[in-house]
Amino acid sequence: MTAVQAPPGEPATAGQVARRRWRRSRGILVAVLALLVLGVLLALMRPRTGSETLDPDSPGQDGARALVEITRRHGTPVTVAHTASDAAERLRSQPDAVLVVVRSERLVAADLTALRGAPGDRLLVTPSSETLSALAPGVEASGSAWSTPAPGCTLPAAAYAGDADFLGATTYKAPGEATTCYFDGLGGAGLVQLPMGGATVTVLGSSRLLTNQHLAENGNAALAMNLIEGRAGVVWLLPDLPAPGSGGHKSFSELLPFGVKLAVLQIVIAVVLVALWRSRRLGPVVVEPLPVVVRSAEAVEGRARLYRSRRATDRAAEALRAGALERLTALLGMPRSAASDPAMAAEIVAAVAAHTGQEQAVVGAALYGPPPVDDAGLVSLAGVLDDLERLVRNS
Amino acid sequence: MTLTGRTGLLAALGAVVLVIVPSWWTLLAVDGVLAALVVADLVLAGNVRRLRLHRSGDTNVRLGEEATVALIVENPGPRPLRARLRDAWPPSAGSSPRTVTVTIPPGERRRVETRLVPTRRGDRAAVAVTFRSYGPLGLAARQLNRAAPWTVRVLPAFPSRRHLPAKLARLRELTGQHVALIRGQGTEFDSLREYVDGDDVRSIDWRATARRADVVVRTWRPERDRRIYLVLDTGRTAAGRVGDIPRLDCSMDAALLLGALASRAGDRVDLLAYDRRVRARVEGAARTEVLTAMVRAMAPLEPELIEADAAGMVSALLSRVRQRCLVVLLTDLNTTAIEEGLLPLLPQLTAKHLVVVAAVSDPRVTEMAAARGDSAALYDAAAAERARADRRRVTVELRKYGVEVVDAPPDEIAPALADAYLSLKAAGRL
Repeated sequence: MTAVQAPPGEPATAGQVARRRWRRSRGILVAVLALLVLGVLLALMRPRTGSETLDPDSPGQDGARALVEITRRHGTPVTVAHTASDAAERLRSQPDAVLVVVRSERLVAADLTALRGAPGDRLLVTPSSETLSALAPGVEASGSAWSTPAPGCTLPAAAYAGDADFLGATTYKAPGEATTCYFDGLGGAGLVQLPMGGATVTVLGSSRLLTNQHLAENGNAALAMNLIEGRAGVVWLLPDLPAPGSGGHKSFSELLPFGVKLAVLQIVIAVVLVALWRSRRLGPVVVEPLPVVVRSAEAVEGRARLYRSRRATDRAAEALRAGALERLTALLGMPRSAASDPAMAAEIVAAVAAHTGQEQAVVGAALYGPPPVDDAGLVSLAGVLDDLERLVRNS
Repeated sequence: MTLTGRTGLLAALGAVVLVIVPSWWTLLAVDGVLAALVVADLVLAGNVRRLRLHRSGDTNVRLGEEATVALIVENPGPRPLRARLRDAWPPSAGSSPRTVTVTIPPGERRRVETRLVPTRRGDRAAVAVTFRSYGPLGLAARQLNRAAPWTVRVLPAFPSRRHLPAKLARLRELTGQHVALIRGQGTEFDSLREYVDGDDVRSIDWRATARRADVVVRTWRPERDRRIYLVLDTGRTAAGRVGDIPRLDCSMDAALLLGALASRAGDRVDLLAYDRRVRARVEGAARTEVLTAMVRAMAPLEPELIEADAAGMVSALLSRVRQRCLVVLLTDLNTTAIEEGLLPLLPQLTAKHLVVVAAVSDPRVTEMAAARGDSAALYDAAAAERARADRRRVTVELRKYGVEVVDAPPDEIAPALADAYLSLKAAGRL
């Protein structure tokens, strides 16, 4: 059996084509798939924020009612504020209270100013970057914790509580005077406490450990209680959604996280690299002189168009008659020169009439008559000449 | 050097790392690592400069057929070569495959074959061999062009060679492989031999018979050793395309058939290609090699877009030819070119030589002349009739000088010219 060999470089079957395409594109497909899986994983690990997240009145999984109720039972009054000004007012009336700020992404610049002016300690739970810079200057978000770290610090609240739920928590870099706990191994800490004036500001990177669902796990409850108890009271600020337009104007680039900006820069670099890859030719461009393409019949076609544009029926008729005469005289066995000789006209007409059975006047008008004046005349003349030629040929 | 798609892909994946760990240091680390990998890949890629290249394969190919040229790549270096290779040829050489991936371990050699299906006549020279040698990671490659000279001469297709057996049969019929007894046109004295029963008594040579005891007859054989000079006009009229091929190629085809036929018939065949200077000349080639020589001489000929110099051509011809010969002029029956160029010079040629003008007519003109229907078709027909009338007039004028004219469409010109030659030979006019 001999198989038909496809020439190299050309696939023979649909299967080969499919295999080749798969070989070419599998790298990109695997990369896209990897990106997709990574994106899904990151999205799954992100703490979800719903309408009831850390709501002190909510008994749902993400609510914080358990913590608030326990705190109240332990004798610490908890007041819930829904606006920053309300919270600031309450703090002013009881300066020893601790302010717990949750869902701080809802706070606008004016709210932050109001809160900064208020006295007392603060516990910022997964604060937004604006809140962080306004209420805990010097502390910056650095990354995420990928494990459940041990406290690893001397802060009593953390040391007593032991392990807490910091998986996926935001970690922070803090200035030197701050106390940091729950390290992520990359220099970031999940819990930062820094003194500010006479008070302390605590930044907690995980909101998970405060929720009803997870409060009972590990040392979560202990850590949470240690952070907010022992004060004259707790002001729990769960800001309402700010009124539209009250947040002040922010440009698009200000809203983008720093990481996304860096990623865009990196993608620009990648695009430049891809452009460099694609722009490099494999070898030189080969040039060669090409022959001129001139059709041999071009001059004849040009003359035909010239006839047509000028409606040169006379010249066209003359040429058609000359051709017909040439063929007729040859068929009738006359000398070659007869066709172009006017003296032979009568003889040719007579011979053609005799062979075709047409009247001499008709034949004479067709072969030597006045030229047609329009296209219709030319068409009919050509028809008559063709008929004469056919009749002579068949006679 | 050059990069690969993998580099870009890795850089894009770096963006994900930056989203997770946003810092300028991360950016620097990601791109630094990438750059280090690229540099390492470049350093570890196989050396192209030290490769040894050899060529082998076909040097001649007939137009329309396939040639194979091999490139042998030898890797004397210590590192394996993993490369993409492009053997670059001019576009009309029709080379394939365009690129090949080769892997050559150190100290070994690999053979890469390129198939050429040329689309035009002439010499096709290999341009360069480009290597893109990848490093072990496939992130970057060294790229270099290396010279590996090779030339393939694309010979005329000679499609009319299929007519050769028929024409040779006619030639044999005409001349006979054995000597003829009857003196006639197109024969010359061959030898004397003894009379045998059945010989024509008219061929008895009485003088020789008188000298010897036997009756002796004269034998005759066809004319031989005539000289045929083929003249190819490579001027502007040869550039026009008849169908899809230049008129020059049709003329070449006819010239080759005639050359093959005449050399078998025992005539000497010479070739001259001329427009304003001598483009090619084949003279005094041995009978068995004349066809090869003609084909090789014709291969690189291209029509020039200039008016041919008829006077120069006639003098180039006359300066080389002493004895009477058959001059076959392969040109076009272009009214101005013939009337102003050739006609005034014809007496010089026809005085001593027999001249045949072979011209390729355009089937398109015939097609236009037969067009009927509306007025546009009739204007086409009229213009075509006019062109044919001009052609006829030129033919008549040429015939007045005793010139034979062969005017035929491209697929018939070669056999028509061969037939004209055979009838001239039969008539003893050579």
